[in-house]
Amino acid sequence: MPAELRQEQSPGSQASLATMPEAPDVLEETVTVEEDPGTPTSHVSVVTSEDGTTRRTETKVTKTVKTVTTRTVRQVPLGPDGLPLLDGGPPLGPFADGALDRHFLLRGGGPVATLSRAYLTSGGSFPEGPEPRDGPSYGSLSRGLGMRPPRAGPLGPGPGDGCFTLPGHREAFPVGPESGPPGGRSLPERFQAEPYGLEDDTRSLAADDEGGPELEPDYGTATRRRPECGRGLHTRAYEDAADDGSELLGERPAFSAVTAPLAQPERGSLGSLDRLVRRSPSVDSARKEPRWRDPELPEVLAMLRHPVDPVKANAAAYLQHLCFENEGIKRRVRQLRGLPLLVALLDHPRAEVRRRACGALRNLSYGRDTDNKAAIRDCGGVPALVRLLRAARDNEVRELVTGTLWNLSSYEPLKMAIIDHGLQTLTHEVIVPHSGWEREPNEDSKPRDAEWTTVFKNTSGCLRNVSSDGAEARRRLRECEGLVDALLHALQSAVGRKDTDNKSVENCVCIMRNLSYHVHKEVPGADRYQEAEPGPLGSAVGSQRRRRDDASCFGGKKAKEEWFHQGKKDGEMDRNFDTLDLPKRTEAAKGFELLYQPEVVRLYLSLLTESRNFNTLEAAAGALQNLSAGNWMWATYIRATVRKERGLPVLVELLQSETDKVVRAVAIALRNLSLDRRNKDLIGSYAMAELVRNLRNAQSPPRPGAHLEEDTVVAVLNTIHEIVSDSLDNARSLLQARGVPALVALVASSQSVREAKAASHVLQTVWSYKELRGTLQKDGWTKARFQLAATTTKGPKGAPSPGGFDDSTLPLVDKSLEGEKTGSRDVIPMDALGPDGYSTVDRRERRPRGTCSAGEASEKEPLKLDPSRKAPPPGPSRPTVRLVDAVGDAKPQPVDSWV
Amino acid sequence: PTPLPGQDVAPQRVEIHKLRQGENLILGFSIGGGIDQDPSQNPFSEDKTDKGIYVTRVSEGGPAEIAGLQIGDKIMQVNGWDMTMVTHDQARKRLTKRSEEVVRLLVTRQSLQKAVQQSMLS
Repeated sequence: MPAELRQEQSPGSQASLATMPEAPDVLEETVTVEEDPGTPTSHVSVVTSEDGTTRRTETKVTKTVKTVTTRTVRQVPLGPDGLPLLDGGPPLGPFADGALDRHFLLRGGGPVATLSRAYLTSGGSFPEGPEPRDGPSYGSLSRGLGMRPPRAGPLGPGPGDGCFTLPGHREAFPVGPESGPPGGRSLPERFQAEPYGLEDDTRSLAADDEGGPELEPDYGTATRRRPECGRGLHTRAYEDAADDGSELLGERPAFSAVTAPLAQPERGSLGSLDRLVRRSPSVDSARKEPRWRDPELPEVLAMLRHPVDPVKANAAAYLQHLCFENEGIKRRVRQLRGLPLLVALLDHPRAEVRRRACGALRNLSYGRDTDNKAAIRDCGGVPALVRLLRAARDNEVRELVTGTLWNLSSYEPLKMAIIDHGLQTLTHEVIVPHSGWEREPNEDSKPRDAEWTTVFKNTSGCLRNVSSDGAEARRRLRECEGLVDALLHALQSAVGRKDTDNKSVENCVCIMRNLSYHVHKEVPGADRYQEAEPGPLGSAVGSQRRRRDDASCFGGKKAKEEWFHQGKKDGEMDRNFDTLDLPKRTEAAKGFELLYQPEVVRLYLSLLTESRNFNTLEAAAGALQNLSAGNWMWATYIRATVRKERGLPVLVELLQSETDKVVRAVAIALRNLSLDRRNKDLIGSYAMAELVRNLRNAQSPPRPGAHLEEDTVVAVLNTIHEIVSDSLDNARSLLQARGVPALVALVASSQSVREAKAASHVLQTVWSYKELRGTLQKDGWTKARFQLAATTTKGPKGAPSPGGFDDSTLPLVDKSLEGEKTGSRDVIPMDALGPDGYSTVDRRERRPRGTCSAGEASEKEPLKLDPSRKAPPPGPSRPTVRLVDAVGDAKPQPVDSWV
Repeated sequence: PTPLPGQDVAPQRVEIHKLRQGENLILGFSIGGGIDQDPSQNPFSEDKTDKGIYVTRVSEGGPAEIAGLQIGDKIMQVNGWDMTMVTHDQARKRLTKRSEEVVRLLVTRQSLQKAVQQSMLS
């Protein structure tokens, strides 16, 4: 069960969706989650040639990763005296946990027994002997409760008895929720294998960049259990932990104040070995045992420097416990400069120490307060974590490391660092092995399935976050060898096993969506595929096909089956895309090329059909949206492929979703897909009812709480606008679906200016069809009504629209204008706008707004003019030769083409 | 061949062996111009009504550079096909035929001095 506390939608992603342009070019979203590529782990040479192609060679660090099964957690039953019965468990890990426990236990003697004494007596080795059942003679830190499990799960309430010791014993603590609820609650002092300590980050609230970056999930683990009553928090007065001795007086760590009045204020220095700590009264009364005081935070931090390794380990583990869900403590740890200590321990020779330190860091890295994340970065935490991941064979450590990296990855300034240090390692150590993908597939064996491990989940979460960090991050991830291949393989495996709701799948799809953003601009060699006339072949063919099919589809029965079969029929006709100039492949696509091969369409559609995870649905629709955008050949294929694979009904059905973000993502995907004329016709016919229904719900929600968000309403409106533009049939469908009343109502009474504007824009377009005026007027609509709608929401022609929606500023175009070529530049006066001979490809997409004749043509043009949507200037990977720089920027950029 | 008006140098023959990149063959340069483009924006032409095809960028170390193509060259022919009266896209297509691994260009270029003067004026 995913150890997540809550997931928060990144407001950024929503905001950015809102600002996405109206342009039919379609909005692309990218989820960027930044990651640090693990440069230290491999030798990467990046060669950027002048033509913009970047070649990246990496020599990978070879390291086979063995998947270690997760540990089963066993509870350590507590004896009646509260001490754990350790005889049951085999020591796990290199550290003899049981022994460690024991050595903390005081043998014999009075209530006072210091660790040092125990150490001395044991001479470094662990005292053997019987159990914890020794009488009152314990001063062991590990008394009572066991360790906190590294991950909190949704287990029941904390140990009733509240006794816990410094995590000395290991054995039995639940690794996670999987471990199951602790049994034995009958005895109040029974150790509850509560999932303490480890928390994951909650989703960050960071917004992202252009296009709808995604959220970065940091997950919070489930509630941490804190012992409620009398925590017998035992502390040990370590002889050498004297640094903060003076602080011990009367000071209490915040946490202990909650529980029992542990204490008697201590007098004397920390060095006093005779300090007694009182236990909680309840425990006391039960046992009349010596009391213990919780160690102070400075003490604990000092213990991190103790020469005895188990002390270090225990201190770190205890720290992990203290930090759980306690922002104050986390802050204080940082203030006391505990973070560099912990990071240093990541390289410690003892595995146990490394593990515990990592557990503490994981908790410390979690939370809204980003100072800790920054501090961890500042002391070299990211490369240290990556080193540990490479070195570690123990699965728990790998879970901790990747969990910590996931936490850190939600903090924007860290994303590139994570990519720099960790991308290679994360990909080659985790993603590739766990995905089941094989670089050189063995012909004889069947493809391996993906392993949905926690480590994979954490790593995919981390990569998800960093993939949202912008163009450079996307480039790094796209070009990371094997990453896209492995992710796709994992997703296909999930679909094959019908296991598509889990978090790992969600993370993978989100990464794919992010990496699909702006592919048409960013992948090496994209220029080659740019189409001078957007989708000329596609649309030309489309129109022919449309005519042919019109008779059967639109003229005849409009049964859904007919529509569903459309794809098949079309598929039979041009399955090989004969009419589209699909490039011949000399070798199989690999790496980032896989992002936009038409084969991925089937994968995304399967996910849309099968998954119930809203984030996955949103991401899959977002990926299709991204891929359908853009003025390049692949987008043309993809749009047609979606249709042929019968994806349109799948999308339309999702418009019924009750989840806002799903409706939004699907609406925008449909809008982009409408750039294909054939799609546009089909969508106009069969999606109109659902689109209008969503509008009606926006206006008057059917039930409380079903209110649609503004961004979603605007997206739906934009989609409607796209499909009714330049399609009389679709405009008619809108009328038939009773869309006009809904639109007018929105204009009149929506709280949102954007919604009203967008609705008004649709109305304008509808009104522009002279053929429909009769019907409209018969229904009682007057021009005034429509115009009123228009004027209330927008000013004079050309008023800029907020958020880049230029639709509302386009003049009302008379639809009766015939003979305007689709997107042809010929009709556009050269001096008014338009890319001219020498612009760079990117700038070609820009066009001034508000020109009359262009307004209409532009609506057919996949490259919608929208200056706010202008392509980002070519990044560092491409030389930006501005041929017109010398002449100044006043003129539109000319076009050039790479060959 | 006689030098064309406005050009100082005799036409050059440039033979480019395309480079295979994945499933694509690239030449490593970019072109501007065409009868459907605005010639006034061409920084390399002497005659600003010249709608010919010009080399606008050359990739370092790419096949074109190796073959001796230079930025600012005007492409007259490609494998015998005329390039002086073509649209931009036609030009691109003539250069990127998958069936051809080698293209032989006929280009003209201004003298270096003239080219420098040109860029300083614009």
